[in-house]
Amino acid sequence: MKKIIIDPVTRIEGHAKITIDLDKSGKVEDAKIHVTQYRGFEKFCEGRLYTEMPALTARTCGICPVSHVVASTKAIDEILGITPPQAGVNIRKIVNLAQLLQSHTLNFFHLSSPDFVYGFDAPKEDRNIFKMMQTHPQMAKDGINLRAFGQKIIQDLAGKRIHPTGIIPGGVEHKIEAPQKEAILEQIPEMLKIAQSALEFFRANMHKFQEEIDSFAAFPSLFMSLTNEEGTLEHYDGKLCFMDSEGKILQDNIEPRDYKDFIGEAVEEDSYLKSPYYKPLGYPEGMYRVGALARLNIAKTCGTPLADEELKKFKALNDAKPVLNSFYYHYARLIEMIYSIEKIEELLKSDETMSDNVKTNSKITKTKGVGCSEAPRGTLFHEYHVTKDGVITAVNLIIATGNNNLAMNAGVKQVAQKFIDAKNITDGALNRVEAVIRCFDPCLSCSTHALGIVSSKIEVRDHNKKVIQVIDRN
Amino acid sequence: MRAIIGYGNELRGEDAFGLDVIKELQKLSLKDTKLISAHQLTPEMVLELQEADEIIFIDTCLDEKNPYALACSLSRHSGLNLSHHISPKTIIYMLKSLYARLPDFYIYSMMSNSFERITDNRRYKERVSMTAEHIISVDRQ
Repeated sequence: MKKIIIDPVTRIEGHAKITIDLDKSGKVEDAKIHVTQYRGFEKFCEGRLYTEMPALTARTCGICPVSHVVASTKAIDEILGITPPQAGVNIRKIVNLAQLLQSHTLNFFHLSSPDFVYGFDAPKEDRNIFKMMQTHPQMAKDGINLRAFGQKIIQDLAGKRIHPTGIIPGGVEHKIEAPQKEAILEQIPEMLKIAQSALEFFRANMHKFQEEIDSFAAFPSLFMSLTNEEGTLEHYDGKLCFMDSEGKILQDNIEPRDYKDFIGEAVEEDSYLKSPYYKPLGYPEGMYRVGALARLNIAKTCGTPLADEELKKFKALNDAKPVLNSFYYHYARLIEMIYSIEKIEELLKSDETMSDNVKTNSKITKTKGVGCSEAPRGTLFHEYHVTKDGVITAVNLIIATGNNNLAMNAGVKQVAQKFIDAKNITDGALNRVEAVIRCFDPCLSCSTHALGIVSSKIEVRDHNKKVIQVIDRN
Repeated sequence: MRAIIGYGNELRGEDAFGLDVIKELQKLSLKDTKLISAHQLTPEMVLELQEADEIIFIDTCLDEKNPYALACSLSRHSGLNLSHHISPKTIIYMLKSLYARLPDFYIYSMMSNSFERITDNRRYKERVSMTAEHIISVDRQ
């Protein structure tokens, strides 16, 4: 048996390698993604004071620190037994959506668009953002402007672009000032135009990628996300919902604090990334997907006009049943970008958001708290146990990317079986194996709490694990 | 206009070198100069740098053999990369290819053998002052 190793995977956030095992006839027998680094947040947070947790856990990630701060402060809200004032909640939501926007923007414009513009078989030296800057400068500028918009909101409302400190237990540190509100609102039309233009570009080019649409992690699975009573797209409040591949609700109305009743955590010996699964179906049958695709499959509407128009077209892709093709994560993220901008505008225009009353305080009333939010990559859980003096005794984190681990592995195998020919391993085939992972936009630094270092090397090994070919993918 | 960007992690000891140099410079009124502190360099930073004729990047470089050496270590930063954080060279490339700007740029680095803490506070502060003074002396010229 031969083994092909792609190490590390490129144009993702974090460090991973892929192994592809070939049988004697050269066909792909199995394929896996291995997340190879570990940082151990769950352990080293033990013994710290609960008040430190938002700042500590924000350091899990440089892309989605807001998600960690939101989930962390929600967990502490529960420990303190408090409900933040509505203005505090709304400002948290705005900052969370701003982060969703800048994160999705990074994936589409900077990491994935080269594949859509030049094709998966284009020379590898062309499939990058630097080539895009030469041939599609406006698209590259659009990505910069949209990301800057999201980052500026985070900085203005939460203190810092990276690892913000303005979201605190009980609400937020500062109210929104009128000039801040006006400055954001002034940019909304231009940002909407950019997001709509990106979606148009994607939709106009989708037909070129039917083979990838049909084979990039395109299979039945469950889907999970937060959802609210109205069934609209939800990233902050609500309860957990599991839907099957036919659109049947398996379980909904799950309080986030009860997540362990429904989510099990398996561990694979060759990866530091957890493999969560839907407990009633067991492991690995209980594979589910989270993130933009899951959220749009589960939501009945977005609740904002332009995004709702796009959601109708999205749901038509599979005749109103859940969309099963992971390639469409890109599509779903683009719709969420439009939604985020519209929702930020809606929240800013609400009188409640502008209230002076943005935070409340209390003492410890419970020794356990669970915070849950929808991060860009999916549902995020922070669970803390504390002593009555506020010392952390146990932490459990399920990071958005981790929820998708089983599906990413199944996707890698599906793509490898479709495109890898042991007699002629092309760069385009290897790029597709990586690209299926990019569909999920994994943040591996985040999900394993690992520091991402990306170089580019692929090793091809024979059945004795002897390296027979090394490919530099840098 | 001249832009001076100090970047690093203030929680990681000597990695905060660039940020501390910026703090020193903020005490002065440098003419036609924009001072920027950042955790890391990010793509959207180019929007703040479009008007710059000269950019100075200040950071810390891991180097076990020469702690506290000051250097202009362009080669260490010469790779093009674009993720959620980017290199100085990527910033310059973006300014050139997207905004037709080609500013002069310099990278001032302090070598450090550890980002865990400030191992020699006296030498660290001395290097911060030396770098700030060097920038000021260039400013006077």
